[in-house]
Amino acid sequence: MAAVSTVFVLLLWVVFPLIRPASLGSEHQLEPPFRNVTPLHTQIDEYRTMGWSLLPEGRVAAFGLDDGTVLEQRVVFPDLKITAEAFSLTSPDMILGFENGNVAFGKVTFETGFLDRQEVSDEVASLSVGELGRIGSAMVQRISREQFRTQRLSLSFAQAVQGDSDSPVILVDQIIDGTDRVYVVFHEDRTFRLVRAEERENMLTGELTISTESATLPFAAADREDLPSFLALSGLGDSASIAWPDGTLVRYNTRDFNRPYIQEIVDLVPEPGGTLTVLRFLLGRTTLLTGDSTGTVRAWFPARTSSTVPGSDEDHLRLLTAHEFKGDSPVTAIASSSRMRMIGVGRQDGSSDIIHVTSHKKMGTLHPPAASGPVLDMMFAPKDDAVILGYRDGIITWDLDPGHPETTFRSLLLPVWYEGAAAPEHVWQSSAGTDDFEPKFGLIPLIFGTLKATIYSLLFGVPIALMAAVFTSEFLTPRTRSRVKPVVELMASLPSVVLGFLAALVFAPVVADMLTVFLAVFVTMPLSFLTGAYLWQTLPHGWTIRMQNWRFWFIFIPVPMGMGLAFLAAPILEGVCFGGDIISWLDGQLPGTWGAWTFLMLPLTAMVAAWLNGVRVSPWVRRLTSDWSRTRCAWFDLARFGVTVFAILAGSGALGGILDLLGLDPRGGVFGTYVQRNSLIVGFVMGFAIIPIIYTISEDALSAVPEHLRSASLGAGATPWQTAVRIIIPTAMSGLFSAIMIGLGRAVGETMIVLMAAGNTPIMEMNIFNGFRTLSANIAVELPEAVVNSTHYRTLFLAALVLFLMTFVLNTLAEIVRLRFRKRASEL
Amino acid sequence: MTTTTKNDVKSEPVSRRRRKRSRASLFSQGEPMVWLTGGGLVISLLMIVGLLVLVLFHGMGTFWPSELPRFVTKDGQVVMGEVTRQQRYEDEDSGGRKLVRTGNFDLSGEHFRWIDDSSIVDRTLPPWALVIERTEWGIFYGFPKAFIFEGETVAADPAGVYEKYQEYHKEVSERRERRRKLETVDVGKVNHVLEKARLAIKSAELKYGKGSPSWERATKAYEAAEQRATEDFKDIRLKIDALNRSNARYVMLMETAQGQEKQVPLAGIVRAYPANSLDFTGRTTIYLARWIEFLVDEPREANSEGGVYPAIFGTVVMTLIMSLAVMPFGIMAALYLREYARAGTIISIVRISINNLAGVPSIVFGVFGLGFFCYFIGASIDQLFFAEHLPNPTYGKGGVLWAALTLALLTLPVVIVATEEALSAVPNSMREGSYACGASKWQTIKRIILPRAMPGIMTGMILAMARGAGEVAPLMLVGAVKLAPELPIDGIFPYIHAERSFMHLGFHIYDLGFQSQNSEAAKPMVFSTTLLLIGIVFLLNVVAVRLRTRLRKKFESAAF
Repeated sequence: MAAVSTVFVLLLWVVFPLIRPASLGSEHQLEPPFRNVTPLHTQIDEYRTMGWSLLPEGRVAAFGLDDGTVLEQRVVFPDLKITAEAFSLTSPDMILGFENGNVAFGKVTFETGFLDRQEVSDEVASLSVGELGRIGSAMVQRISREQFRTQRLSLSFAQAVQGDSDSPVILVDQIIDGTDRVYVVFHEDRTFRLVRAEERENMLTGELTISTESATLPFAAADREDLPSFLALSGLGDSASIAWPDGTLVRYNTRDFNRPYIQEIVDLVPEPGGTLTVLRFLLGRTTLLTGDSTGTVRAWFPARTSSTVPGSDEDHLRLLTAHEFKGDSPVTAIASSSRMRMIGVGRQDGSSDIIHVTSHKKMGTLHPPAASGPVLDMMFAPKDDAVILGYRDGIITWDLDPGHPETTFRSLLLPVWYEGAAAPEHVWQSSAGTDDFEPKFGLIPLIFGTLKATIYSLLFGVPIALMAAVFTSEFLTPRTRSRVKPVVELMASLPSVVLGFLAALVFAPVVADMLTVFLAVFVTMPLSFLTGAYLWQTLPHGWTIRMQNWRFWFIFIPVPMGMGLAFLAAPILEGVCFGGDIISWLDGQLPGTWGAWTFLMLPLTAMVAAWLNGVRVSPWVRRLTSDWSRTRCAWFDLARFGVTVFAILAGSGALGGILDLLGLDPRGGVFGTYVQRNSLIVGFVMGFAIIPIIYTISEDALSAVPEHLRSASLGAGATPWQTAVRIIIPTAMSGLFSAIMIGLGRAVGETMIVLMAAGNTPIMEMNIFNGFRTLSANIAVELPEAVVNSTHYRTLFLAALVLFLMTFVLNTLAEIVRLRFRKRASEL
Repeated sequence: MTTTTKNDVKSEPVSRRRRKRSRASLFSQGEPMVWLTGGGLVISLLMIVGLLVLVLFHGMGTFWPSELPRFVTKDGQVVMGEVTRQQRYEDEDSGGRKLVRTGNFDLSGEHFRWIDDSSIVDRTLPPWALVIERTEWGIFYGFPKAFIFEGETVAADPAGVYEKYQEYHKEVSERRERRRKLETVDVGKVNHVLEKARLAIKSAELKYGKGSPSWERATKAYEAAEQRATEDFKDIRLKIDALNRSNARYVMLMETAQGQEKQVPLAGIVRAYPANSLDFTGRTTIYLARWIEFLVDEPREANSEGGVYPAIFGTVVMTLIMSLAVMPFGIMAALYLREYARAGTIISIVRISINNLAGVPSIVFGVFGLGFFCYFIGASIDQLFFAEHLPNPTYGKGGVLWAALTLALLTLPVVIVATEEALSAVPNSMREGSYACGASKWQTIKRIILPRAMPGIMTGMILAMARGAGEVAPLMLVGAVKLAPELPIDGIFPYIHAERSFMHLGFHIYDLGFQSQNSEAAKPMVFSTTLLLIGIVFLLNVVAVRLRTRLRKKFESAAF
C-alpha cells in the first residue's frame, strides 16, 4: 500500500506545479532615471542589475537597478534626430530611422565579466551575496563568497545608410535573416520601401560595407491619404503590415521580394469608436497583438481559412482573431515575453494584467501602490523572473514566477487555438526544430490513441480468451487441461518487447503484403470451425461419443481449412469488395463502396442471423424434425447452416447496397489509408499479449464454480453446453468481468508493443489501418529527452498519472468484483 | 444417454419419447458453439506455438553458414552474396526476387541488393568464394588471390592462401585481443587514477577553498599523477604499436566477384571460411563458434555484429540486485499479511493495493523510478557524497541500482502473492504442533514455517526474476543504454559500480530492431537475442512451475 501511495504521491508532486498559479512577488519602486523625457525604448539585463534606455535625442543611457540613477550616457548619432526605431525581442539588434530619411543599424548588449575577491575594492568586497554595487560605469553583484559579476553596456552602431527619400522616416521595422537583414521604412512623403541589406566585411581593411536593394510597396493602393502609425514586418519577412489608429490594417504580401502586393485589409478594432492604441508582435513575430481604447487585447495570425481554395499557396492565408482578452480600461502598453507566449497588458488606469495568450491563463493583475497615471511602458525581464512597469513618476518592478502558464486543465484536455491553425484543435507536439516553437501539450490525442489500441486489442483478444477459457474448463479432459493451461500461462511471461519486435518487423510487412488474406481469415476461420462442427454431427452418434475425449484434437483440423479458404477467398474478396487492389482502394484512388460495406456488414448480419435462428427458426425446426432420426437431423442442420451462410451473405450484400445507394463511404471512418504500422497489427499482437491473462483469470473463475452446481445441472438432464451457458457462465460472470477489466488494464499500460508497432504519430482517427500514439509510448519516447522540471517533463508525469489512475480504477473495480464473486462462490 | 434398457417393450409412446430425446440432444448439445469455443483455444495455442517456432527457427538459423552463390544477370552484372530473403511476386505465376547480402560495403556502398529471378542467367557456387567477417565495414565476400607476408607474396593460389590464413590467423587474433585489452583495461586504469586525483582537487577546493594547504597538496598530487599517467600512456602506446606492427605484416589480397582487388589485413579478420566447400562438420564448427562469439564477445558494428555479452551481463547483474532488494520486502509483507494481520478493512485495502500494484503499467514504474530514485534520492546522494563530481551526476541519473530498485517495486506483488501462497500451504497442524511444544510465534515462523515455505518462496523469486528480466519499458527511463562502455562490475575499486548504466537484452532487441541504421543486417541478430531472452525467461518460468508442482505434491502427501 505504501508503494502504491508513494507512486501516486510522487507523480502528483511532480505534476502539481503545472496547475499552480503564477506567483507575483514583492515589488520594488525606483525613481525614474530620466526626468521630463519619455524613453523610446528600455531594456534590462538578464541578471536584473542594470538597464538602458534610448532617448529621443539619440542618447543611449544606462542606469543601475539599485537606485535608478544613471551609470553612463552616450550619444550615438550626435547630428541626427531619431524619428523612428524598431527593436527585436530575442536579439540585441535595432534599427533607427532619422529625420533626413536615413536609417542606421545597431546593437546594444550587456557585457558580463567575473572578478575574484582579490580583484575588487574593499567597498565592493563588503557587499553581501546577491547585493548590487557599482564600479565606475559597471554594475557589480556578489554571486558567491568568492566571486563577483560585473555588467556593463556595450554599443556598436554602423554608419547610417542613405534612404530612398529625404523626408523623415516615420515608421521602420526589421528582421534579421541569417547574414541578411530585411527592413521596411515608411517616409513622411509616403515613400514605402522594402529593403534587403547585406553586410560585407572588407578582408583587407576590416571595413563594413552595406549594400542594399529595395522594392516599393504600393502604398497608394491602400487607398488612404493619412499617415499610418504602426508598422510590422513578420518574422520570415514574408508579410508587412501598416495600421492606422482607427484600426484599419493593410497587409502586404512580400514573399516575392520584387513583387509585393496588398493581400488583405482588416479592421482590427471592430468596436465602434474604438481606436487602436498598441500594435506589436508576440514572440516569433507571427502573431500580432493589438490593444485598443475599449480595453480589448486581440491576437491575430494568418491562417488558412475554410473559404480558401485547397491546394493553393500561402496567398490565401487570412488574419484571424484567435484570442480576445477583454478589459475595462484602455490599453496603453503591451509587453511580450522573450521566452514564451506570455504578455503583459498595461492600462490607462495604471493597472496591468499578465496573460498567457495561447492558454488564456490569467496569471495576475498588478495594481500600482498609489494613483500613478497610465502605464507608459511595460516589459518582462529577459528570464521572465520579473515584470517591469514604467509610470510617469517611477519604475515599478514585480518579482514574477510564471510557473507553467501554458498548461491549464483547459489546454490539456480541450482544443486549443495554436498559432497558424484555422480553428482550435487537439494537438500533441512537444518539440520542433526552431527556438520560438510553441510546444503543444494536448493530452487528448494520446488518450485517444491509448483507447484505440485498447479497443482494437480487446476486440481481438477478449472473445478468443473467453472462448478458450470456457472450452478449457468445461469441455477438456482434466489430463489435457493440465497440459494446455501451463502453455497458455507461459505465454503470459513472454516479454512484450519480443511481441513488439515480431509485430513490427515480421507481422507488419507480411500483413501489408497479404492484407486481404488477413481480413478473410476473420471470416473463414469461424466458418470452417462451424462447418467442422456440423460435419462432426453427421458422424454416427456412437462414434462421436467414443471419440469425445479426442474431440479437442479434431478441432485443429479446421484451422488449415480456414487458412486455405482464406487464401482462396482473398483474390475474390479483393476483386469484388475492394476494387481489385485494397491498398489503393483504401487510399481513395479506386471507386466502389458496395463491396466494402458488404464486408463490414458481415458481423452485424451474422449476429442478426444467429439471433433469428435461435428465436424463430429453431422452434420451427424442433417441431418439424420431432420424429426424425438423429442423423437426418444432423444433415438437416448442416443444410440449415449452409442456407444461413448464404442468407448472411445476401443480407450483407443488400445492406451494403442500401448504404452504397445512400452515398456513404466506409473510408474515413474505420477504414482509411493503409500505413504499415497500424492498429490492426497492434490489435492483433496486443490481443495476443492479453489473451493469457484474461484466459487464466476467467478459467480460474469458471473452475471455481462449485462442482455440485455442475453435477446438479447435468443430473437434471442438461447437456454440457446448456450447463456451461445457463449455469456456469452466469455464476462466474463477475469473475469473467474482472478478468476483462484486468486485461483492459494491461492493454492500457502496455508500452513496448505499441511503441514498436503503432508508428507513434499522435493523430486522432478511428482508421484501423492507421497508427496512433499512446500515453505509455509517448512517455517512453519523450521522457528520456525532457528537461527536468520543464513543462514537458511535468506533462509527461501527468501522462503517467493519467495512466496510473486509469489502471487504478480498472484494477480496483476488478478486485472488488472478484472479492464479491469469491464470497458468493463460497456461499453456493 | 439414449441406451435402451426396455428394448423388449416396443410400445409406441416410449419409442416416440426416445426419438424425441435423441433429436433434442442433438440441438441442445450446441456442438457448433462448442467447436467455436474450442476454436478459440486452438487458435491461442497455435499462435503460441507458431510464435515460438518462428523465433526458434530464425534464432537458431542465424549463425548457420549458408552457401555463397554467384549470380550473373541478363545485363552482365555479377552479384555474389548470401541470399537472405526470397519473395514471390503476387500477380505473376512464375518468378520472384531475392534479397542478396552483397557485403563489401567499403567498396560498393551498399549492404543488400534485390535481384529479379527472371534476370538471372547463371548461378554457380564457386568453391573458393570466401566469407570474411571483419572488425570494420561488415562482411566481405571475395576470392583469395594472394597472401602477403611483410610485403612479399608467399602464396598465390586460393588453397595456399587459405592455408596460410589458417596458419597465422590464430596468433594475429591473439595479438589483436592483447591490444584490445591494453586499450580498454590498462588505459582505463590509468584514466581512473588520473580522474581520482582530479576529483581530489575539487573536493579539497569545496571543503577548504582554493589555495588552502590541502588544496595545494591535492594539486601537487595531481601533477605527479599526470606525469605518471603520461609515462604510462607512452608505455602502453609503445606496446600497442609493437603489436600493430607485427600484425600489419600479414595481409590477404582479395578479389571481389566484380574483379575489384582489395587488401584485407589479417588483423581485421574475425573469421574467414570458404562457404561453398565446407562439409557438414565444417559448417557445424563455424556455427558453434559463432554462437560462442555471440555469447561471450562484445558487440561490433553498432551492435549489429559480434556478441551480446555486456547485455547478458547487465541483465544478470540487474536481475540479481533486484532479487536482493525484493526478497526481504516481499517476504516480510507476506509474513505480516499471513501470520500476523487480522482480517479487516485495512487488510482488504492492503490486498487491493497489492493487486493494484501488480496492475500498474510498467512504464509508470519507470516514470516513478526516474522521478524518485534518479532525480530525488540520486540527486541527494550526489550532493552529500559526490559533490566533487557535480555538475556531472553520479547517482542522479539512470543506473543499474535504480533500475533494479524500480523493477523490485514492479515485481513486489509477484513475490508477496507467491510467498503468501506458500505460507498458507503450510498446514495449520504444524503451527499448532509447534505452539504446543512451547515455541513462540517467531520461533514457529523461523523454525517451522519458513523452511517449509522456502520452495514456494523460491518459486516467487524465480517468477519475479523472469518478469524482471523480460521487462524493458521502465528500463528505458532508468538506465538501460544501447552501448555501455564499462560493465557494472569490473576489476577497479570498488568493483561493483551500481551507478553505471548498463546494457540489457530486452533493450538490445528494441534498439537493434528500431534504432539501427542497417536494420536488415541487424535482423538476424535480433532474432538470436530474442531467442536468448525468451530462453532465459522461459527457463526461469519452467523451473518455477516445476518447483511449485513438486511443492504441492510434497504437501499433499505430507498433509495430515
